[in-house]
Amino acid sequence: MPFSEAARIAMSALRANKLRSFLTVLGILIGVSSVVAVVAITEGLDRYMANQVLSLGSRSFSVQKMPDIITSRAMWLEMQKRKDVILTDMDAVKAACDACGEVGALVQVTRTVKHGRAKQPDVQVMGITENFSRIGSVRDLISGRQLIADDVDTARPVAVIGADVMDAFFGETEPLGKTILLDNHEVRVVGVADRKGKIFGESQDNFVWLPITTWRKFYGTRRSIIIQAEARTMDLMDTAQDQARVVMRARHHLGFAKPDDFSIETGETVMDFWQSATRGIYVVTIVVTAMSLIIGGVVVMNIMLVSVTERIREIGVRKALGARRRDILRQFLVESVLLSALGGALGIVGATAFSMALAAVLGGIMSADFSAPVRLWAVSLALFVSSLVGLVAGIYPASRAASLDPVVALRNE
Amino acid sequence: MSADAVPPSAPAVPPSAPPAAAAEADGSLIRAEDLWRTYVMGAEEIHALRGVSFTIAPNEYVAVMGPSGSGKSTLMNLIGCLDTPSRGRYVLRGKVVSEMNDNELAAIRNREIGFVFQTFNLLPRATALHNVELPLVYAGIPKDERMERARRALAMVDLADRMTHKPNELSGGQRQRVAVARALVMGPAILLADEPTGNLDTVTGEEIMRLFEKLHAEGNTIILVTHEKDVADHAQRTIHIRDGKIESDEKRR
Ligand SMILES: Nc1ncnc2c1ncn2[C@@H]1O[C@H](COP(=O)(O)OP(=O)(O)OP(=O)(O)O)[C@@H](O)[C@H]1O
Ligand SMILES: [Mg+2]
Repeated sequence: MPFSEAARIAMSALRANKLRSFLTVLGILIGVSSVVAVVAITEGLDRYMANQVLSLGSRSFSVQKMPDIITSRAMWLEMQKRKDVILTDMDAVKAACDACGEVGALVQVTRTVKHGRAKQPDVQVMGITENFSRIGSVRDLISGRQLIADDVDTARPVAVIGADVMDAFFGETEPLGKTILLDNHEVRVVGVADRKGKIFGESQDNFVWLPITTWRKFYGTRRSIIIQAEARTMDLMDTAQDQARVVMRARHHLGFAKPDDFSIETGETVMDFWQSATRGIYVVTIVVTAMSLIIGGVVVMNIMLVSVTERIREIGVRKALGARRRDILRQFLVESVLLSALGGALGIVGATAFSMALAAVLGGIMSADFSAPVRLWAVSLALFVSSLVGLVAGIYPASRAASLDPVVALRNE
Repeated sequence: MSADAVPPSAPAVPPSAPPAAAAEADGSLIRAEDLWRTYVMGAEEIHALRGVSFTIAPNEYVAVMGPSGSGKSTLMNLIGCLDTPSRGRYVLRGKVVSEMNDNELAAIRNREIGFVFQTFNLLPRATALHNVELPLVYAGIPKDERMERARRALAMVDLADRMTHKPNELSGGQRQRVAVARALVMGPAILLADEPTGNLDTVTGEEIMRLFEKLHAEGNTIILVTHEKDVADHAQRTIHIRDGKIESDEKRR
């Protein structure tokens, strides 16, 4: 019997029991759709992260007291005990790191900023060196000027503001030359930075930049700074970080067996963390999927046994008309595979709808273009695996059907 | 009634010409030698057949009669290659069927045997045409030829206008005629019918018997099991079975 004939028989058998077939493949449907959806969504997030994080600049790194990624409170407390990073550390790094291009520093607090009656809460008030906007990702201005060395040297009360602050205080009116209020300190707006949008729902435009010296006058000198540096070329990235590390260790008098008591962070640090988190998600998904596929397979096997029992007489008739063992075997195997593959296909449809919906929701939250692409390989893998489940689940019921004695089968009521 | 009298009005020959020529050296189509069929039920042995021997020539029309439980169906199953004897030899068209394996038996059932059952045994979800097509599917015949031959077989039993009907849309007699068309579509060596009129009323039963007569006249070999004397009277030869043995074997001239 040709395959097409077996497929036709299988389809008509499945059609005759639509609801039962659907319920049977629910397990496989869920398994397949969860794996396809998770793959699509993590890939979408991956791409998004790579775009956003690496846009911070792949040649830049920072030297800071606290690491970017803190995974426990105990770790946070431990890190709190570290020495502060101070301005003279920056000078030392600048002097010793010949693989470095620009070296600068920043320090920040979160404050409510005022202008007249208007208030803008949760503004990142950053003290920066004049080269800040050239390190890592370049921040252009939409109007006015950047902070310059002279601003820093003379601790001038001037500021470059982010687009959110601009929107909150000035709207359509001219901001340059106007005064804003930082904890009762007046500063004059000299520039407005270009809009960047949001990363994971957090605005990148709600800030005020001050010369670092001005900042220290307002908020004190006892806060740990972040040294920002950029390697001269991509190839010098490791060398530059090593040089900075050597300087910092020497200044902190660390013996060679002691670990660093500061953190050097790059965009890759975040990316690495993200990717290891993604791997965790994948592992969990694979376990969930494997379990739902196994359960799905057992259900398919069970329903195939029912199907064989219901059709014992049909099997007898077919054998009486000349069906060989292998014809019957094939008929039920094809039915089982088709049933499962149908579940897989439905799962893919479900996953596609789900990831599209989720992409829309996430995109909305992050106010970014976010896509969760359903990959061809994930689709083919899902179909292949679900068919395989059907094949394995069908073997026992099909071989039972095939080995039925025709006389016994025909006598079955 | 004479076996040789082919009515001039007889329609075209069946899909494949009946194999009147194919027979063993002694002229027999079927040769059964000391057939036993024993069922083992726990410690007990039930002998459904206890040494049955006979030969049947091409184009014979044989009725098998006997009380309930005498072994008629068991014998038909052996002749139809649905079952193999516990002991003895069964030769069909020169082939020793009793020594064949599963696949060879399936091929014999497909090509040499046409089975008609008391309960029709049509596939309920399939149309008449598809039911008749089934043996051709298992013979590996291509789709176009299958349709063509299935249509001809249905036309032969006067069901040309019922091809797309499902069994539950047909009367009992029509169902049995579909079953006959299915039994004949491969052009088998013998047509076996186990109480083909058992589930039909007298009038419809007669209609099926006339069909059998026509098929016999066209050269088919027919063996049928029946409880009814009237039905058996259509045949040229009657084998009586009792307790798994042949009690009598009468031919009429
Ligand atoms: N699978 C089986 N297992 C055990 N005994 C069986 C089996 N099949 C048939 N028999 C026995 O073999 C004997 C012959 O059965 P068979 O079906 O051939 O009778 P029959 O002549 O066709 O009867 P009926 O006219 O009622 O159809 C019976 O006694 C029956 O109980
Ligand atoms: Mg019987």
